[in-house]
Amino acid sequence: MRRKATRAAGSRRRLWLGLAFASPWLLGFVALVAGPILASGYYSFTDFNLFQSPTNVGFANYQELLHDERFGQALANTLILTVVGVPVSLMLALLLALALNLRVRGMPFYRAVVYLPTIVPIVVTTYVWRWLLNAQYGWINRLLGLVGLPQPSWLEDPAFTKPAVILIGLWTVGGTTVIYLAALKNVPQETYEAAAMDGAGPWQKFRAVTWPALSPVTLFQLIVGVIASLQLFTQPYLLAQNRLNGAAGGPDDSLLTYGMYVFQNAFVFLKMGYASALAWVLFLITMAVSAGLLLTSRRWVHYGN
Amino acid sequence: MYRRLRPIAAVAAAVLTAAVAACGGGGDTASGKTEVVFSYLWSGQEAAALEKVIADFNASQDKIVVKGVSSPDFQKQLTSMSSANGSFDISDNFGSGVGAWASKGILTPLDDFMKTDGYDTADFVPSAMNQMKYDGKTYSMPIALHTQLLMYNKKLFAEAGIDKAPVTVEEWAADIDKLTKRGADGTITQLGYANAEINTSLTTLGFMFGGSWDDAQGKPSPADPGVVAGTKFYADTIPGKYGVDKVRKFTSGFGEYQSAQNPFYTGKVATMIDGEWQSVFIKKFAPNLEWGVAPLPYPAAKPELAGTTQVTTSTLFIPKNAKHPKEAWTFMKYLLDKKSMLDFTLALGNLPARTSMVDDPGYAELPNFSAWLAAMKGSNAKSLASGPTAAQYAADLGTAFDDIAQLRKSPADALAGVADKAKKYAP
Repeated sequence: MRRKATRAAGSRRRLWLGLAFASPWLLGFVALVAGPILASGYYSFTDFNLFQSPTNVGFANYQELLHDERFGQALANTLILTVVGVPVSLMLALLLALALNLRVRGMPFYRAVVYLPTIVPIVVTTYVWRWLLNAQYGWINRLLGLVGLPQPSWLEDPAFTKPAVILIGLWTVGGTTVIYLAALKNVPQETYEAAAMDGAGPWQKFRAVTWPALSPVTLFQLIVGVIASLQLFTQPYLLAQNRLNGAAGGPDDSLLTYGMYVFQNAFVFLKMGYASALAWVLFLITMAVSAGLLLTSRRWVHYGN
Repeated sequence: MYRRLRPIAAVAAAVLTAAVAACGGGGDTASGKTEVVFSYLWSGQEAAALEKVIADFNASQDKIVVKGVSSPDFQKQLTSMSSANGSFDISDNFGSGVGAWASKGILTPLDDFMKTDGYDTADFVPSAMNQMKYDGKTYSMPIALHTQLLMYNKKLFAEAGIDKAPVTVEEWAADIDKLTKRGADGTITQLGYANAEINTSLTTLGFMFGGSWDDAQGKPSPADPGVVAGTKFYADTIPGKYGVDKVRKFTSGFGEYQSAQNPFYTGKVATMIDGEWQSVFIKKFAPNLEWGVAPLPYPAAKPELAGTTQVTTSTLFIPKNAKHPKEAWTFMKYLLDKKSMLDFTLALGNLPARTSMVDDPGYAELPNFSAWLAAMKGSNAKSLASGPTAAQYAADLGTAFDDIAQLRKSPADALAGVADKAKKYAP
């Protein structure tokens, strides 16, 4: 009995000790993450311009959302970029991972090449792509011209700005590819051998062995990709920017993502209360989408034993 | 022993983190002088010119020392003014932003300083001083002014057989057509008129057609017939005539504005509407360019609009959270002094904000500069209002201008849409 009490006291002391050691992170989390999150929840019910004390306005900010055209446009733009961009980049990453999993000489080199673009800072990448996509001098259009395809005004024509953003996103698919590659290495060889014994061809092997084995990783990458895409900011911001601290959204607001609209409201129009409401709505949307994906995953994700 | 130390080490780690977090923020200098931090948006050669003025001030002072910081990041400027403890004492902005910031309590009103010192603002250009005021108080001071004129490439004019700058918009439109070159499939290789930045050119066009972007109370008036006519002129003369796709493709190849690849410098564009700093810019980036400057054209039916220009202002202000507002005011007075203003405006190629300096012989060294100086004296010098919702209005206008330039909406429809939106935030 007594022994037990000592042990309990000991583990309690260890708990406190552990917390104390974790305290630098905990303090940082409370002050820099949890604090602002809670504060933004409060601000979303106020009229707040960053400089004067917030005044309570109840649900007015949330009601305003319903009548705000640009909110609808920003949400639609973001959803299009996500629904198209995330699956396309996952598919490309998977294809690249399959290719990089072949036994070919010099493979470490190819793997490095695929991963390399992800270590270039995103601002640099975007500025390089701005010129690659230039309607008149860009190399992309030059290539398209060589094979006789139409050469769109990527960054000026509202119909092509979103494909441009997705294209830039594909450039940094290396991170996703590496995770797929690691997952491919974990597929047990004997399963492939068994499939071969049963007379399965390459496609059947992929359908019946590889894809199910990769499905947990796919679910993870899908959710992470969707969350990142819903918060997309840097690339469209840099492509649309024409003036310092202006509130540009690209041609016909076609590049205005949700994240950009939150930023514009907070720091260009100085409507922090409204921006906070927008941010919370995005949070709820992200939660709902993630939960939805998790629910469907029961049908297509296989966890092996 | 080490078991005892572990909790102590953990606590120490926590305390250290808190201490580091609390650190930051400085004080006065060791020399006993009060340090005034001047954070400015200028950079490069313009910043170098400013640093010289600062050095002159510091040499003349035994109580204050000014530290100049080039910080061209608008966002940083804004956020550092939102904290309780300011990181700078004086900074600069544009005149159209005064109302937005003053109404939110970001700026220190200067009236008390002026009253104490008996400071006279009568010499400053009246329209610029009006922009500095919000709700009866003065929140900024103008350091430099800017006007817009028609600039043209003399060589391209000669090639097209045009012997003088257009006087009316009708003549200008005819010239634009002569100055535009196209391939067999309509691909543009030279354009008669284009501006790097559509917003300033379209607001100026609105003024040129007798419009006003704000009413007498300073509220947005985007449906004014004059501004509709001005933007319609652009839509009809450029994209309407040569095709949206073709213009889009041609303008996408424009080089950086502040570089030798500026399309006006390279002869891709024959006329543009731009400000007086071009005098210094062209000297630096395109010294061999043969260029001229003329008053903005006016509609032939409205000769009373001759000499119209858009005036913008560069301003100095003291933020509400400045640590040393009094000392900042002393420095601001020095910058606004005739000698400093001359040094500064000459180096940047900007117009002075004082009427008494308009005829200063010092400006004669800048090519064609006198035309812009003359424009600021004219009675048709117009500006945008500096109302509290100017940023929102500018953003909505930007969207509408894009719709107009891409022919997605007629000018009347696009601007009526802005009027609807403006009713909500500026009723």
